[in-house]
This record gives sequence, structure tokens and C-alpha cells, in this order.
Amino acid sequence: MIQWLNDPGNWTAPGGILDQLRAHLQYSIIALVIAVALALPVGLLIGHTGRGRWLVTVANAMRALPVVGLLILLYVMLAPHIHGKGDTVYLLPTEIVLVLLAIPPILAGTVSGVENVAPDVRDAAAAMGMRGSQVVRRVELPNALPLVFSGLRSATLQVIATATVAAYLGLGGLGRFVYDGQASQNYAERNAGAVLVALLAVAADLVLALAQRYTVSRGVSGRFPRGRTSEAADGPGGGDLRGEGGGAADGPPVTAETPPSPHTA
Amino acid sequence: MRLLAVDSSPFGMFDYFRQHQDEVLNWLGYHAWLSAVPVVVGLLVALPLGWLAHRYRWAYPPLVTAAGLLYTIPSIALFVSIPSIIGTQILDPINVAVALTVYTVALLVRVVADGLGAVSADVAQAATAMGLTRRQRLLKVELPLAVPVIAAGVRVAVVANVSLVAVAGTIGVPNLGQLFTTGFQLSVGSPYYPPITLGIVLCVLLALAFDLFVVGATWLATPWRRAVSGS
Amino acid sequence: MKKALTSALVAACAVALAACGSSGSSGANGLSTSGGASPSGGGSTIAAKLVLGGSPEFKTRPDGIPGLERVYGVTFGSYKTLDAGGPLTVNALKNGQIDAGDIFTTDPSIQADGFVVLQDPKNLYAAQNVLPLINKAKATPGVTSTLKAVSDTLDTSTLTTLNVHVITDKQDPAAVAQGWLTQVGLAKHGTAAQGVSVKIGSANFQENVLLAEIYAEALRDQGATVTTRLNIGSRETYIPGLKDGSIDLIPEYSGVLLQYFDPKATAVSSADVYAALQKVVPAPLTVLDQSSAQDKDAIVVTKATADKYHLTSIADLAKNG
Repeated sequence: MIQWLNDPGNWTAPGGILDQLRAHLQYSIIALVIAVALALPVGLLIGHTGRGRWLVTVANAMRALPVVGLLILLYVMLAPHIHGKGDTVYLLPTEIVLVLLAIPPILAGTVSGVENVAPDVRDAAAAMGMRGSQVVRRVELPNALPLVFSGLRSATLQVIATATVAAYLGLGGLGRFVYDGQASQNYAERNAGAVLVALLAVAADLVLALAQRYTVSRGVSGRFPRGRTSEAADGPGGGDLRGEGGGAADGPPVTAETPPSPHTA
Repeated sequence: MRLLAVDSSPFGMFDYFRQHQDEVLNWLGYHAWLSAVPVVVGLLVALPLGWLAHRYRWAYPPLVTAAGLLYTIPSIALFVSIPSIIGTQILDPINVAVALTVYTVALLVRVVADGLGAVSADVAQAATAMGLTRRQRLLKVELPLAVPVIAAGVRVAVVANVSLVAVAGTIGVPNLGQLFTTGFQLSVGSPYYPPITLGIVLCVLLALAFDLFVVGATWLATPWRRAVSGS
Repeated sequence: MKKALTSALVAACAVALAACGSSGSSGANGLSTSGGASPSGGGSTIAAKLVLGGSPEFKTRPDGIPGLERVYGVTFGSYKTLDAGGPLTVNALKNGQIDAGDIFTTDPSIQADGFVVLQDPKNLYAAQNVLPLINKAKATPGVTSTLKAVSDTLDTSTLTTLNVHVITDKQDPAAVAQGWLTQVGLAKHGTAAQGVSVKIGSANFQENVLLAEIYAEALRDQGATVTTRLNIGSRETYIPGLKDGSIDLIPEYSGVLLQYFDPKATAVSSADVYAALQKVVPAPLTVLDQSSAQDKDAIVVTKATADKYHLTSIADLAKNG
């Protein structure tokens, strides 16, 4: 495996590691951007108004959908309707599946983040004459950010690990090495593919951890100049549990009494 | 001659189920078993590891980081490489069980550690003041109080496992995932929905059943929550 | 802080859009296997204008892309990795995501969708006779004779017809197997395989499932205790399964099996492949009598493509168009 990874040809060839890395990132980023665009505003609204909490329940119930089954179902549905060259017929099912995976943790993180904002803080904002939308943007969102990030990081790990299945439908991505290696008995290639996916997930998590460090107000994170334990210290996925599951923050029964992650403390 | 459902629409799944009842129920049984056992074993492994991460601060980062790394390994790759790691037969369902146990442990170590960590210091001190030993405090106070948090993690793990087991169906391990492979193979030219929708519906029902079971068990295990809030 | 978040989102959107754009233009995922290896694969041949689709292993298999180049001097414009003659490849050919596909000759969609099978005058593709691959310990005289009767009766056109029942008409493979055995008079009850217990596997495509069911029914009729383990992925999964005793018997195809055990094999005719195969099948396994029924790899194009470029043989793809 090390040997396979050390062969520069495997990196730069057309369809090599660099190409598939780019494809893998592309599938993942598209899905995450769409998921954030959908789940963040909806989550803020639910948290702010306290209405529509059932949406979180519905989103969490979507986790029960089997990824392979959904992927095959969507492909089979779309295939007769999409003609001509291009990857649309494979890309669309893959992205839909990845977006569905990414929504629940982001939505749950945002909702519980807003709900966990201390009532005093909200009242103070109202007393200062802020309107509803101002409260959301200037008070609730900043205070909710640690949990929003923990949901996003959870979603990112999940999406990157799962984007491997793109190769099952004939797309690229690092999953290509896993499936091709298995099909042609090149186990070094297969294992290298798996390791690369894991490494990419960790790298992405570190990037988000860094982004979190720079966007979350120190007043919120409690991270003062010579602060206590830093975010980065709790490793990849520090915000929350990872992967196809997510964690307490995005787990089904998010209630104020189950402290979802150390960040709220 | 026994015909398959001629109805190719998603609703053909009822006919499909009737015609393949034995086979499908058999797969459902395997699926349930493969989803549940790893959660039980995983929880038993994660409890001491999580406690370790909670009890000794230095142990937290490496344990949680290692668990996180394990979770990022794509499931299909883990399923096919487990036999060469532990020396089992390649088609042995135990491979899937081991892989899912790995994922469950990865998921729950942090939950257990954080759940124990979330028990308020006052409660722990009160327990100590009442003369409980460290072990009694853990088993009688901290662990029960952490049940809701741990249960939340278990719910996530068991639901995720139901989805992951289906992936193993694509490499011939008998479970509901084989309905997807079959439906896929028969969707040449035009879609043949019945096995695919049947598989999805059964997976979702199975996940919901497990979820309800965990919720029920949590309810039974935390009588004090009912006493206070009635929720 | 809000500004930072907003700008991060905007940046992410921009990246995603750029990525979307590039994905649209790159089309098939650019796995042009010709790479820099064959500079002669100029852009003027018919093949260079076409996208070929097939299984992951077709990229590297000696009779896959390398074989097309070596034997016919054919280099496709690009290669799209899909599946081994399965729904992905067939649907992609039908709907125009690819121009040519590596599809199997007994596939009902060739008839149904009017695909054109390109001839293989230089015998790039070896014979692919259906035969049982079995654990020697289970190959008792009774099992051998029962399966020989099946192999002797089955032929290519029968196999194609049975595939139509299973794949197009969605009939249950076990029922189709039983119906055919009854129809040809092989469903007689006997005791030839009494006392033998056999675990029969199949690869994850419908024809192989059907063949496994035919073997299973025939052996059951002769008193064997049969369990089935169907839809086991591909050869890379089930051959180890045969070796470690997870299964005892699986329907196989002579040419591709020979290549699996001996990648350098050159035999082409049915008889040569079978003879070579008997020599290379490793220890606990053996092959029983082969059937005349064949299911070969073929380069298949749509009728429209065949007409447009006047294609009847793989060799035509190397012409300038």
C-alpha cells in the first residue's frame, strides 16, 4: 500500500489520486454547501420561533434511509429520463443522497444552538430594541455558532466518508480506488483508497476546526488569550461525534438537558 | 410457474413481498441481527474506554481522536479487508459484525466520556459525601445519570448500522441489501421498483423499531426523569 | 464575525459552482487509459471519437483496453468505469452516456434495444462456456453426472431465452430454472446425489443466479441437500469463498476463469480454453464438464452508432472516420 502511494504515477496520471481527490472534494463540497443553504436558515427560524420542531424530527428520521438503497432508487428513477454524454445521471443521485445525509446534523446543531442561547441574553437584545431578524443575526447566530459548527463538522465527516459510494455509480472520487482495487485484486490500491478517504476527512475537519476558531467569538467559546483547553486540542471532529451517525448534538433527542458537546459548557 | 410481481411500480413491493416472503423475512432477520449485535458489543467495549477517557484527562484526546479516525474509513473497504485482518472466511457475516462494532465503538467512546463528564460536580460530591466509594459513585450515580446522553448515542449508532448493513448486501452478505442489488440488476432499460422500495421500507421500519426499543429502555432505566417532569 | 461567516459561505458557493462547471465539461470522468502510453492512438480514428463503458477491471484486463489496443489497434476516446455488463453499462449505452459498452452476448437488452454486437474476427475474446466450478470433495460421480446432463442440454440460445424470462419478464429465477428442467425432462427424481450436501453460490448478476438455481434444482432432484448463497459480489469475493469452504459450487465461464487463474493465458477456442483451465484450477477446486452455452464479452454499440460509422466488427473502429 505504501508502495502504491509512493508511486508518483499513481498521483498524477489521468484518473490518478490528484484527479480523484479533486472529484471527491467536489462531490462533498457541493453537497455541504446545499445542505448548509437549506438547513442553516431553517434551523435558525425553528430555534428562534420555537415552531416547526417536528422538522428536526423528520430530518433525523431520514437517517434511517439506507444509503445504498436510496442511491440505487434515485439512479433507477432518473436513468430513463437523462440522455446524452455527461455524468448528470450519476451525479444527481449521489448529491441528493449526500445532501440528505448532511442536513440532519446541521439542522439539529443549529436548532439546539439557538435554543441553548440563554433567555437573559435574548431578553437583553429585545430590551435594546432589536427586531426579530436582528436578534437572529446578531445574537442568536453568533451564540449558536459552536453548535452549528459541531453539526457542520459532523456532516462533513459523514459526507466525505460516504462520497466513496459515488464510485459505485460509475463516478470518480477516492472510492474509485476502493472499487477498482477490489475488482482487479489490487488490494494495495483498495486499502490506499480507504486510507486516503480517512485522511481527507481528518484534513477537512482540521480546516473546519480552524474556521471555527476564527469565527466563533471568544466571548462565546470562552477561549481567552491564555485560555483553557483549546478547541483544536480535542482532535478531529472535536465539535462532536462524527460519521454516519453524528453525535449527541445532532442525535435524535436533542433536548436542552443533554449537553451535546463540551463547547456549550 | 411462479411469477414475480408484474407490477414494476414502487407499489409492486407488496406483491413482491408476498411472493418472496421466506427469503425476505430471512434477510430481515439477518439484517436485524447484524445491526443489533454490534451495538450491544460496541457499547460494552465503549463503556470502559469512555470511562477511561473521562477519568484520565490525558487519555481523552488520543482515545477520541483514534475513535474519530476509525469512523472515517469507508464501510465497503472495511467489510472487504476485515477477513485479511482477523483471518475469517471472506463471506462470513462476522466480518460485517466486527466492522460495525468498530464503528459503534468509535461513535460511543466520546458519548460515554462526555455523558459521564456532564454529570454535575455537585452530584458527584454529594455522592462522595454520602460515603460512596469511587466505584459505587460510578455505578450508582454517574452512569445512571449519563444514561440519557449515552442512549442518544446508541440510538444514532443503531440507526446508522441498519443503513451500513445494507452496504454489505452488495458484496453478498445475506441481508435486506440484497433487495437493492436484485432490483438494480433487474432495472435494465426500465426501472423495476418493487424490491428496491421494499428494501427501503423494511430498513426504515427496522431502524424505527430499534429506535423505539432504545427509547423505551431509556424510559425504564431513568425513573427519576418521569417522577419530575412526567415527560 | 457575521461578515466572516457570510464571506466564507460566498467563497464556498463560488468553489462549488466552479466545481459544477468543470464537472459538466469534463463529462466521462476522464479515465482515458491510453494515457501517454500510446501516442499513436491519434484523434482521427472512429474509436477516438467514442466513449467506451464497462467494468472497473476492463481497464486493466489483458483482453480489455490493453487487448483492444494490442489486437485491433483500437483506442477509445475515453473510458467510463461502470459495471460488468450490468444495469449501469446497459442503461448508459441506451441513453447515450457511452457510445460503446462491454456487454455480455446473452444479455436480453441486445435484442430488446436493437444493439449491435461488433464481431471479433481476431478472437480477442476467448470462449466463455458455462461450466460448474466445484470443490473436489463434493464432485462425487453422482453430482458430476447430474451436472453433466444439465451442461449437455443447455445451449446459448436457451440461455438467452431463459435470461429474457428472468430479466425482462421479471420471473423468479428458481421458477424459471424449475420450469426449464421440467420442460427438457431433467426434473426426474433420482438418488444419484443422495447424501451429498452442497452449498451453491452465484455471482451478483441475474444469469448467474439463474444458472445456480438450475444446478440447485437438478441436484435436489437427485437427492442432494442443497443450500444457496446467491448474489455474492464478483469473482474476487466468491473464489476465496470457494477455497475456504463458504460455498462448494458456482456456475462459471471458462475463458474468464482461465484468465483469473492465469492472466497470461492465450487459449481461445472452447476446447483449448477448457484444456488449459483444467491445468490451472488450484487444488481444492476443479471444473466439471462444460456446456456448449456461451456468454462472451462483446463490444456493443447502438444501431445508430453502427449505422453512422458503418460498424460491423471491432476492427472497423480503428478506421479513420
